[in-house]
Amino acid sequence: MNLLWAVSALLLSCWRANASTAPNIITEPSEVNNQTSAVLSCNLTETTLHIKGSHWVYNGKFIEGSKSEEATAYTTLSLYNISHKSAGKYECVFLTEPEVKQIIEVKILPHVAATKHSEHGNENDIGVMVCVSHGYPLPTDWTWFKGEEGSPPTPIINGTTDKYEIKSTPNKTTLTINDLSIENDIGDYSCSGTNELGTNSDKIHLRVRSRLAALWPFLGIVAEVIILVTIIFIYEKRRKPDDVTDDEDSGSAPLKSNSTENHKDTNVRQRNSN
Amino acid sequence: MAKLRPKAESQGEGPDGGYGWVLVGALFVSTSLVFGLMRSLGIFFVEFVQYFDESAQAISWISSTGLAAQQFFSPLGAALCNAYDTRWVVMTGGCLAALGLILASQATCLVHLYLTMGVISGLGWGLVFTPMVATVMANFTRRRTLALGLAFSSIGLSSFAFNPLFQLLVELYTWRGALLILGGLSLNIVPCGALIGPQRRSKAPAKVVSESGVSCASFLQRASSYLELPLLFERPYITYTLAISLLNVGYFVPYFHLVAHSRQVGFSEYQAAFVMSAAGATDILGRIASGWFSDLGHFRLIHLLSVWTTLAGVFIMLLPVSSLSGSYAALMVISLLYGFCSGALTSLVFAVVPMIVGVERMMGALGLLQLIESGAGLLGAPLSGLLKDITGDYTASFMVAGGFVVLGTLTMVTLPHYFSRKDPPPPKSLSPEDPDKAAELKQMHSSPSDMNDLTGEVTNNRLPEDTYS
Repeated sequence: MNLLWAVSALLLSCWRANASTAPNIITEPSEVNNQTSAVLSCNLTETTLHIKGSHWVYNGKFIEGSKSEEATAYTTLSLYNISHKSAGKYECVFLTEPEVKQIIEVKILPHVAATKHSEHGNENDIGVMVCVSHGYPLPTDWTWFKGEEGSPPTPIINGTTDKYEIKSTPNKTTLTINDLSIENDIGDYSCSGTNELGTNSDKIHLRVRSRLAALWPFLGIVAEVIILVTIIFIYEKRRKPDDVTDDEDSGSAPLKSNSTENHKDTNVRQRNSN
Repeated sequence: MAKLRPKAESQGEGPDGGYGWVLVGALFVSTSLVFGLMRSLGIFFVEFVQYFDESAQAISWISSTGLAAQQFFSPLGAALCNAYDTRWVVMTGGCLAALGLILASQATCLVHLYLTMGVISGLGWGLVFTPMVATVMANFTRRRTLALGLAFSSIGLSSFAFNPLFQLLVELYTWRGALLILGGLSLNIVPCGALIGPQRRSKAPAKVVSESGVSCASFLQRASSYLELPLLFERPYITYTLAISLLNVGYFVPYFHLVAHSRQVGFSEYQAAFVMSAAGATDILGRIASGWFSDLGHFRLIHLLSVWTTLAGVFIMLLPVSSLSGSYAALMVISLLYGFCSGALTSLVFAVVPMIVGVERMMGALGLLQLIESGAGLLGAPLSGLLKDITGDYTASFMVAGGFVVLGTLTMVTLPHYFSRKDPPPPKSLSPEDPDKAAELKQMHSSPSDMNDLTGEVTNNRLPEDTYS
C-alpha cells in the first residue's frame, strides 16, 4: 500500500514536472467581445526559460511603445475606445528562446459604412451602391433592403430577377440595379452585415435623374458659345472692312485709291497726291 | 495702334499691349479649360471606379492618356497653324475637346473613356494649347513673360474652382450629365480661338509658297518645314529641349507624391491636403511674380530660368529632409517655397523659346518641345513610384526628382552664349525679304501682310513715317 502510494506520487510529480516544462500563457481575458475598453494581460507560467522582455503585436504588426525589457512573466496592454480601427488579433510575445506567444481576439460588431450616402443614377442606366466593412471579425453575411418611409424594409434577394445583382466579399458588398426607373427606384436602401456578434447596417439614398436633365444646361452653353462666336466674327467684319478690301485690291494700284483706308495712310497719301 | 519699335529690335516683333491683352484673356480661359479641367478630373474617377468596377490604376490611365495625347499632338497643332490659319486650328481643337467629353458621357465601358476622354479630347487640347501660347507670345515682346505668367495662373485658379464645381455637377446630374456639361464648357475654347483674328503672321508658308504639285517629296518637305523638323538639328534647340525634358522628369513628382509622403510621415489627411493646396497657391503667385519680374529686364530670361529651376530642384530635395524632423512647419515652408519656384519657372520655360529659335519658328518649336518633354514626363512618375516601392519611403524619389531638375539646369548652362550679358540674336529668318522690313510691316499693319504686294507700297510711302514715332 505504501509502495503504491509512493509510485503514484512519483508518477504524479513526474507528470507535473513534464507539464511544467511546456510554457503556458494564461490570457486574461481570453476574448474581448463588444466592449469599449479592455485590459489585455498575459501571464507566462510554468517555464524555466529566461525572459528577455516582451512586446505586443496587432494584426501581425509590432505595436509601438509596447516593448518591455523587463524580465517579468506578466505583461499587459490597455485598450481604450475600441472601434473597428483597433479590433483584431492581438498577440503578446515573450522574448524567450524560442519565442512564446498567445493571441487574444478583440471582436466587435461589424462596422458597416456606405462609401457614399447619396447615390445618383440616370434613368434606364444602372445604379451602383457599395457598402464596406472594417473591423474584426468581418461580416459573413450581407443583406440589402429597400425601405420606404413608414413601411417595413423589404429584403432584396439576389438572383430572383434581372433587376438586382448583389456581389459580396467579406469586406465589401455591391448592389447593382439595372434599368433604373424614376417612379420605382428612388428611395432609401440599406445594407446590413452580420458577423458572429451581431448585425449593423447603413443607409443609402438613391436619386434617379432623367437623362435629359443635363441636356438643358448643355444646350444653354452651346447657344452661348454660338452667340459669342457670331458676335466676334461680326465685330471683326465691322471693325476692319478696309483690311478685307486691301486683300481684294492687292496689287491694283492702291496709290491711286481715295478710299478710307488706314488712317495712318491719309497723311502720307495726301502729301504724295498733293 | 501698335507702338512702333526701333528697327534694331529683332528679338520679337510683338506689339505689346492693346489687343494683346484680349488674347491673354483668351489664353487664360482656354488654358483653364484644358489643364484646369484635366487636373480636376479626379472627381470623376471616384465615380468611375464604382460604376465600372475597375481599379484606380486602370481609371488613372484616362488622364494619363489625355495628357500624353495633348503633348503628342502639339507638333501637329503647330504644323497645322503654320500651314493654315491659327484661329481655325484652335476652334477645331475646341470642338474636338468638347466632342470627346460629350461622347464620354455616353460611355458604357472603360475603353470608351480611354478613346474619348483620352484620345479625342487630348487631340483637341493639343490643337489648342500650343497655338494659343505661340500666338500670345508673338503679340508681346517686353511684357511677354508677364502675359504668360498671368495666363498660366489660370491653371491653379481653375483647378481650385473646378473641384467643387465638378463635385456639384456630379451631384446634380450624375457623372454622365456632368461630362455632357463639361463638353459644353469646353466649347468655350472656340470663341477664344475666334478672338485670335485672321492670320497675323507671314510665316514659313511664304518660304514654300512656290512649291507646287502634290508629289510625295514636296509634301514631305512642306510637312517638315511646318513641323520645324530642321530645328532638331540645331544645337541650341536640342540642348534646351533636353534641359526641359530633364526638368520634366522631376517636376511633377511632388504633385503626385507629396500628399502620400506627408501621410506616411505621420500627418493627417487634412494636413497633407493643406500642404498641397498651399503649394498650389504659391504656384499661382510664383507665375505672376516671376512674369512681372522677368519683364523688368534686369536679367536675361535664361539666367532667371536657371535660378528658378535650381531652387526648385533644391527644394524638392529638401522636402523629405524637412519632414525628417517631423515638424509640420518645416514641411509647409519648404512646400510653399517649392510651389513658388515651380510656378516661377513655368512662366519662363516657354518665353525662352523665341530667344533661341526666333519668333517665326516659335510655333513649331513649341510643338516639338511639348512632344519631347512629354516622354520625359511619362517617365518621372513611374520612376519615383518604383523607387518608393524599392526603398519603402519617398526620400529616394524626391532626391532623384530634384536631381533631375538640377541636371536640367546644368544642361541649360551648356547653351551657347550662356554666360554673355545680353541675349544673342536669334537665327536669321530664311525668307527672301529683309527681316527688319518684315518686322516693320507686321507692326504697322497688324494684319495679314502680303509681302510681295506691299513692299512696293512701303518703298514709296512708309519709310518717312518712321520719323513720326
